[in-house]
Amino acid sequence: MHRLYTRSPIAKIMWGILSSLVGIIVLLMVLVSENPRMEAQTINWEGRSIENGAKMYADNCVICHGPDGQGILGRGPGLNSYYFFTDTGRLRDVGWVGSLEDYVLLTISAGRPSKVESQWPEVMPTWDGKFGGPMRGDQVVDLAKFVMNWEESALAQTPEEDPFQPFEDVIKPMEFQNTAHILLSEEEQAAALEEYRARNVRSPQEIWTGEACFACHNLEERQVDLYGQNGPNFADLYERAGTRVEGMTAEEYVYESIVSPKAHVVETYENAGQMPQNFAEKLSEDEIQALVAWLLNPDREQ
Amino acid sequence: MGLQENIREKGVLGAVAAQADDVFTRLTAGIDVGEFRRMMQGEPPGRPNPRLKPHSEGFLLHIKPTYYHESVTRFTHTYRLGLLSTYLFIVETITGILLMIWYAPSPERAYVDMILLLTNIPFGQFLRDMHRLGAEAMVAIVTLHMVRCYLTGSYKPPRQFTWFTGVLLLVMTLFLSFSGYLLPWDQLAFWAVTIGTSMAEAVPPAVVGETVNLLARGAPDIGANGLLRFYLLHVLFLPLLLILFFFVHYYKVVHFGISLPADEEEVGEDTANRVPADKRVYYLPDVLVDETSFLTVMTALLIVLTVFFFQAPLEHIANPQSTPLHTVAPWYFYWLQGLLKIADKFIAGVLLPGVLLVLLMAIPYLDYNPSRRGKDRKVAIVAGIVAGAVMIIWSWMGTPEYAVEGAPSVEIVQDVMPEEGSGLSREIGYKHLPLGVWRTDEEYDVHDHEFLELLHEFENSVDYYRRTDPDFNAPIGILTISQAQPSLKKLHWEITWFDAEGTPGNYEKSFWLHEDSLYWEQYGWKHLFLGQVADGWKSLSGALVGE
Ligand code: HEM
Repeated sequence: MHRLYTRSPIAKIMWGILSSLVGIIVLLMVLVSENPRMEAQTINWEGRSIENGAKMYADNCVICHGPDGQGILGRGPGLNSYYFFTDTGRLRDVGWVGSLEDYVLLTISAGRPSKVESQWPEVMPTWDGKFGGPMRGDQVVDLAKFVMNWEESALAQTPEEDPFQPFEDVIKPMEFQNTAHILLSEEEQAAALEEYRARNVRSPQEIWTGEACFACHNLEERQVDLYGQNGPNFADLYERAGTRVEGMTAEEYVYESIVSPKAHVVETYENAGQMPQNFAEKLSEDEIQALVAWLLNPDREQ
Repeated sequence: MGLQENIREKGVLGAVAAQADDVFTRLTAGIDVGEFRRMMQGEPPGRPNPRLKPHSEGFLLHIKPTYYHESVTRFTHTYRLGLLSTYLFIVETITGILLMIWYAPSPERAYVDMILLLTNIPFGQFLRDMHRLGAEAMVAIVTLHMVRCYLTGSYKPPRQFTWFTGVLLLVMTLFLSFSGYLLPWDQLAFWAVTIGTSMAEAVPPAVVGETVNLLARGAPDIGANGLLRFYLLHVLFLPLLLILFFFVHYYKVVHFGISLPADEEEVGEDTANRVPADKRVYYLPDVLVDETSFLTVMTALLIVLTVFFFQAPLEHIANPQSTPLHTVAPWYFYWLQGLLKIADKFIAGVLLPGVLLVLLMAIPYLDYNPSRRGKDRKVAIVAGIVAGAVMIIWSWMGTPEYAVEGAPSVEIVQDVMPEEGSGLSREIGYKHLPLGVWRTDEEYDVHDHEFLELLHEFENSVDYYRRTDPDFNAPIGILTISQAQPSLKKLHWEITWFDAEGTPGNYEKSFWLHEDSLYWEQYGWKHLFLGQVADGWKSLSGALVGE
């Protein structure tokens, strides 16, 4: 055993020099391989993130969005869908200016604010714990990465293959939603809109709830609830409307108050600017007429 | 002498040389250039010996003895294990501080920071692997150092207290390693530490146990608070404590001198500090050259092992809601895990380790045999070997191989595609997993060798449990591989069987595998050897277990 170890200082110094060289050479080897190594690690962890997302999706999302992201009729929209991934599709229709990944992240995290009269029987829940959901932040990120991984297959779809279900929450006529990749001109869109409205006339009651008029106005007198406190009360509208503005009939007054809310502000309601200013565009002529008549009818049905 | 005078006397060159010599002498705390040259040429020192000056005047060397007894400088006496322990602690400190740059101890950041370190920091993976390997090596080396001190009887008078502080250092080393274990915040870390701290809970009476547990975890379960506490223990409290006790330990070592080989002195005597002049080996230059060259070789070895052979694991992010199938402690606590399988938490987790620790510390005070010679210490040596063997057996019982608990179907899938780590399926990877339905009761004409190997392993595993478990009859394993997404495959494992009464059973589990995921450690230069080492290890352990 004593032979195992040399006592010569020269031999020790040689060993020292030799192993310094070995150490330096190996470190240089690491240096030259660092870039490819970091790249491999980067895509590796992306990949694992997608794998985690796949499991989260299978456990939580398939019941509404389908096992292959094709959506389920009347239940949840398709995600593995051309309309969803193309620039001129869903993102433009909802008016989102950020990236699709951020939009996905937001929707998974915070859910979908419920839309009254939405076509889906159940709203998209919130998932991130920050918004009261069951998941951790990293799980939501993985899930978004998984959804984004459909991009390649979704963008390869023809319009017929796109598992698209029209959305009722955008102005664009449903027939034209799935033709995002055809890109309509302004006039074509306007014409399509006109035609769509003509075929889809909503009743005054539907407008009252769908456009959320009830959030600020009340149809009954002195109703003590959260809603209907911000705008004038409509219980006695049929009595008041004709007397409000000199030379205007009740019908003319109500019509004008709907299409340009700031025209005749009722005293103490200086916040009329809060009322949407674009009902002239959102509602068709026929719809507005019917709404006016309904509001002025003392025996209106709700 | 002023500079100008100097130049007048010696000329410019001479003055510069004198100035340089002066600086050199100050830096070395007393060795001038000429003495350094004589030292390197192996010439004896002048009188009075200028080579003692750095020990009395320099801070760094004042803790080192000026000379050693020739016999204790033999490599085979100490194996330089104490020195190596100290050095590994320094390596850990340096790599650890560098790692702290990119790490924040919070559940939201810790795991993500690990991934960022691996993906975006040049030498990030190297640092992490080195820190992890260094930590495990330190546990091993400190233990070996203890074993050598035991075998040379160096704990005997007057060195009882040196041994005692040594045991404290061992405990601190273990706690340092273990507290660092939690920091990556992955499943491995989370559950090992959850189990580890839960032992504290078993300390009686219940109030004390619960309080200790609460103090360590910062809450009933490990979370943000627990992580922060472990972090502070790891980077601040334990290192400072270890440094303090190291100096106590080392002071005692120098004070008593390193014990001579037992045969060189009379039984009951201690002559370590009475070194005859002809036996003296001076620190400068002989021992310094020896220690520096030894540590340089060890550094190179550590670098080579880190770069080619070692990869610190990183499993899925910590998930308090899901316990992985086989949670394992770090290897140096396998013995504890083994004990926990045969005794309850209090006995195995608190009482026995406590008793063992006290016994270990008390060895110098219990062993009244004055002789350090092997032939006089048969009982002690045999007891040491028995203790070592018992430790190894307990450790083996701590590995998942011993007393597998899961149902056969669960174990089969765990075998080919475990929840954590790689398993053969992930090792062969995306490109060797052809789409289709593959059953264990059919033969396939596949040309992909790697995939064939997987099918065989699947078959063998199913067959193994069919033979060994009476409640697992006529089992069939079905693997369905489908394309879930572009570059993402789904592996659906299904096992069907009949129990002893003939009732059918069924088990299903799905995993996904992405094209770019590299589970099999293939980064940098590791692919050169790691695969082969792992294969060799697998066939070796396979041969040992007899499968
Ligand atoms: C962090 C852990 C430790 C460090 C850094 C350390 C460091 C050292 C050093 C540098 C020496 C000088 C001799 C040599 O290199 O062998 C030494 C001696 C010694 N150590 Fe340790 N040690 C540690 C742990 C331990 C442990 C766990 C024990 C025993 C339980 C122990 C017991 C001793 C004894 C008895 C000596 C005197 C040996 C003799 O005089 O022959 N040490 N230690």
